[in-house]
Amino acid sequence: MTDSAAMGAPGRPLSLSGRLRNVEPATLVWVALAAILLVLVAYPMGKLLVSSFETRGTGAFTIDNYLTAYGRARYLEALGNSLLLGVLAAGISMVLAVPMAWAVSRTDMPGKSIVWITVLGAFILPPFLGAIGWILLAGPNAGFVNQAWRWATGLQTPLVNVYSFPGLALVIALHSFPLIFIFVKSALDLVSSEMEDAANILGAGTWTATRKITLPLVWPSILGGTIVVFLETIALFGTPAIIGIPARINVVTTQLWQFFEYPVRVEVASAYAMPLLLITVAMILAQRLLLNRKGFVSQTGKGGERRPTRLGPWRWVVFGWCAAVGMLAVAMPMIVLIQASFAKGWGRGFRLDNLTFRNYEYLLFRHEMAIQSIWNTLIFSSIAATFAVALALLVAYIAARRLVPFAGALGFLAMAPFVIPGIVMAIGFYAAYASPPLALYGTAAIIVLAFTARFLPIAYANSTAAIRAVHPEMEEAARILGSGRMRTVAKITAPLIRKSLLGGWLLVFIVSARELSSAVFLVGPKTLTMAVLIYDLSEAGNFEVVAAMGGLMLVITLVLVGVGMKLAGRDFMLRRE
Amino acid sequence: MTIITRRGLLQTGAALGAMGALGRFPALAQDMTPHEKQLYEAAKKEGEVTWYSGQLSAEPGEAVGKAFGERYPGLKVNVIRSTSQVAFQRLSQDLRARTVQCDIFSSTDSGHYGFLKKEGLLTKYRPKNADGMIEAARKGDPDDMFQICYFGLYLMGFNTQKVSEADAPKSWTDLLDPKWKDQIAVGHPGYSGAIGIWALMMKKMYGADYLKKLERNKPQIGRSSMDPVTLMNGGERAIGVAIPSATTLLSISRGNPLKLIYPTDGTVATPAPTAIIANAPHPNAAKLFMEFATGPEYSRVITKLYNESLRPEVPPPVGGRPLNEIKLIMPTMEEAEKGVPEMREVWRDIFGV
Repeated sequence: MTDSAAMGAPGRPLSLSGRLRNVEPATLVWVALAAILLVLVAYPMGKLLVSSFETRGTGAFTIDNYLTAYGRARYLEALGNSLLLGVLAAGISMVLAVPMAWAVSRTDMPGKSIVWITVLGAFILPPFLGAIGWILLAGPNAGFVNQAWRWATGLQTPLVNVYSFPGLALVIALHSFPLIFIFVKSALDLVSSEMEDAANILGAGTWTATRKITLPLVWPSILGGTIVVFLETIALFGTPAIIGIPARINVVTTQLWQFFEYPVRVEVASAYAMPLLLITVAMILAQRLLLNRKGFVSQTGKGGERRPTRLGPWRWVVFGWCAAVGMLAVAMPMIVLIQASFAKGWGRGFRLDNLTFRNYEYLLFRHEMAIQSIWNTLIFSSIAATFAVALALLVAYIAARRLVPFAGALGFLAMAPFVIPGIVMAIGFYAAYASPPLALYGTAAIIVLAFTARFLPIAYANSTAAIRAVHPEMEEAARILGSGRMRTVAKITAPLIRKSLLGGWLLVFIVSARELSSAVFLVGPKTLTMAVLIYDLSEAGNFEVVAAMGGLMLVITLVLVGVGMKLAGRDFMLRRE
Repeated sequence: MTIITRRGLLQTGAALGAMGALGRFPALAQDMTPHEKQLYEAAKKEGEVTWYSGQLSAEPGEAVGKAFGERYPGLKVNVIRSTSQVAFQRLSQDLRARTVQCDIFSSTDSGHYGFLKKEGLLTKYRPKNADGMIEAARKGDPDDMFQICYFGLYLMGFNTQKVSEADAPKSWTDLLDPKWKDQIAVGHPGYSGAIGIWALMMKKMYGADYLKKLERNKPQIGRSSMDPVTLMNGGERAIGVAIPSATTLLSISRGNPLKLIYPTDGTVATPAPTAIIANAPHPNAAKLFMEFATGPEYSRVITKLYNESLRPEVPPPVGGRPLNEIKLIMPTMEEAEKGVPEMREVWRDIFGV
C-alpha cells in the first residue's frame, strides 16, 4: 500500500529523516488538506458560533445577543417571512419544474431544446438581474405587462404587482426551478416504461399512470430539489433587498444586513444567523432520512425499455406550458433588461428616440469602478475556481481511494459549506479574518477564500463523480511500472478526468462571478466585484445603468458558457452530480 | 468602431467644453499655489485617494473624480458611491476590522460627524480654500475636523404627464391628502442620510404622527433619495418626496417629464460635511482632495450637473431657484446625531421595512 514500506529495513533504528521518508506522501497531503479545510470552513463557522455568545468589545460571555436578536417583533416577523417565502418559492418552483421534467424525459413533446435553453438561461441570469427585469415588467403602474393589460382591457387595476409577497416568491421561483428540473429529469430518465405499461394493462390511462406510478417513483428527487430551492430562497439576499423593501417585506437576510449598520453588531448578526444554519442542517438531515427509506425507490439501472409516452394533441398543451415558463423566466426579463440598458427612460418603451448608448458609454469610459470591478470579478473568480477544483480533486481522490484513515472526514468538511448560507458564511469570514492580526478585510484574499469555501461543494461533487469514473486499475498499472503516487495522479488520473475538471472549474467560476450574498460584506473599495457594484447601482434606482452593467455581466458569462460547452461538453452545467 | 468614434467625439467635446468654461486646460503646475503644489508632490507618492460618498449622485461623483485626476495627473480617485448610511456602514465595518480603507468620507447625515469626531476618528485639517467659500459652507467644524463640501436641497417633484401643475401638492402636509394614495415614492432613512434628515424635520414640524399619516397613502419605499426620480421617469409613481434637486434637474435636462416643487413649508437643506478619516492610508492625497473639494473647480464641475455651488464666483446651476429666494429648513448637527438613528427605528416600525 505505501510507497516507502520497502525502504525502512526491519530491525534498524530509524533516523528522523528516515522516519520522514517512511511517511506516505498522502498522509502529508492529508494533513495539509485538513489544515486548509479548517481555515476555510471550520474556523469561520466556529468563530460565528463563539462570537454569537460574546460581548462586543470585551469578548466576555453573554446571551444578550440572542435576546437582542429575537427580542423584537419585527425581527421575528422577518424570520417568519423567510420561512413562508421559502415554502412558497419552493412550491411554485416544483409546480413549474416537474411537468417540464416529465415532458422532456418521458413524452414525445416537440421542441425539447427550448426547455434546455430555458433551464440554461435561468441558470445564467443572476437572480438580482432577473428581479430588476421583473420590476420593469410587473411594476404596478409602468411595468410593460401592466401597460399592455391596461391597453388591452381598459381597466385601471394592474394585472400583476411585483412588489408583493407572491410577486417576490414568483420571481425567486422563476430563477430557482432549474434545480428541481435537473434533479427530477435525471431521476425520470432511469424509470423504465414497463412500470407504466403494467399500469396501462391494468386499465389506467396515461394521466393515472403518471400520477400513480411515474411521479411517486421520482418523489425523492422532487423532494430533494424542492428542499434545495427552499434553502436557496431563505439564504437569498439580492432579490429580497431589491423587491422586498418596496413591497414592505423584511426577511432574515435583509435583517442581517441591518445588523451591519452602525454600530456593526457582528455578534447579534451571528446570533440571528443561527436559525438559518439550523434550519438548513435540519432540512438536509430530513432529506437524508427520507431518501434512505429506500422502500419505494425501485429504479434499478437502465435495464428496462424506455419509450416516450405519446401525448397526441396534448403534447402542444405541455409544450405551451414549457414555452410559457421559458417566456416568464428568461425571454421576457432578458428583453426588458436589454431594452432598459439602451434606454434613456425604461418606461418610455421601444422607441427610436428612447435609444441611447449613454449607459454603456458611462460605465465603460466614465465610471472607473465599473472596469475595475469586471477585472476584480474575473481574477477573484478564476483564482477561487482554481483553488476549489484543486482542493476538491485532492480530497476526492484521497476519499475515493481511501488512502488514509479518516479520509471521509475531509470529504465531510468539503461538503459542509453546502449547508451554510452565503450571507452566514460571509459573516463568519468577517468575524474570523477581517480584523488584525490577519487584517484581511478589504483584501482580495478574503474574497477569494470565501468564494473558494462557498463553492467547494460544487467542485467536490464534480471531482468525486469524475474520479469514480476512473477505475483504479489504470493507476495500478502505472504503479506496477514503478511510478509514484503523485506522478501517477499527474500523468494518468488527471488527464483522464481533465474534461470534467474543466467543467467543474467553469461552473465554480460562473457562480463566483455572480455571487452577491457573501461578497457584499467582504468587499473593500479596491475589491469591488460586478455583483456588488450592480447592487450599489441599484440603490439609487437607476435601472438603465444597472441594466447596462447587467448586460456587460451577461456578455461575459455567455462567452464563458460558450467556451465551457466547447471544451467540456454541451451539458457541463446541467449534469446531475 | 462606432464606440471608438463616439468616445473620441465625447472626449473632444469634453475638452472643448472645459476650454470654453475655464479658458485653459487644467493641471498646469504654475497655476497651483505653493501649498497645493507641495501637497501634490507628496500625494504623487501615494498615487490614489479613496472616497466614500453618499452625497453626490453617481454621475457627478464620477465627474469629480475625473476632474481631480485631470488637474493632478498621476493621482486617481476611487469613487465608492452609495447611499450615506451604507457608506457609513462600510466605514464602520472598516473601523470595526481595524483596517482603514477610506481616506475621505462624505455623508448627507451630518450626525455621523459628531460621532466620528467624539471617537477621535477624524483628521484635523483646515483647507486653505475654505476661506473663499460661501458663508453657509465656510463654518464647518470649529475644530476643523470636517468641512461642508455639499449643499443638498431635498424637495418634491411630480410627473407632468400624470399630475397637473394646479393639482400638484404644494407643501409637505399636502402629501397626506388621500388623493395621493399609491402615487407617492420616497427613499429610506436606513440607506439615505438625507431621508433621515427629512423624516426628522417632518417630525419636528408636524409631530410623530406625520409619517403614520403618510403611511395611509402607501408610499413606495426605495433606498436612495434619488430612487423616486427614476420611478417618476418611468411613470411608476407620480409624486417624488424628499428628492434631491440636482438629480431631478439633471433628469429634466435629459427630457424626462418632471417638475420640481419647492414646498411652501420649507425645502430641506443639508449642508453636508466631508472629512479625512484618522490614519487615512493616503493622507496627503486626502488633504489635496479637501483643497480641491473646497476650491472653485469642484463647484464648476458639480454645478454643471445641477448641484449647488459652494463658491461665490461660481454661478448656481441652471434651472433651480436661487437659495436666497427659497425657505430652507434644517436640523442642527446635535439634533441629527441623536434624531436620525431614532427616526430609522420609528420608520421601520411604521412602514415595516
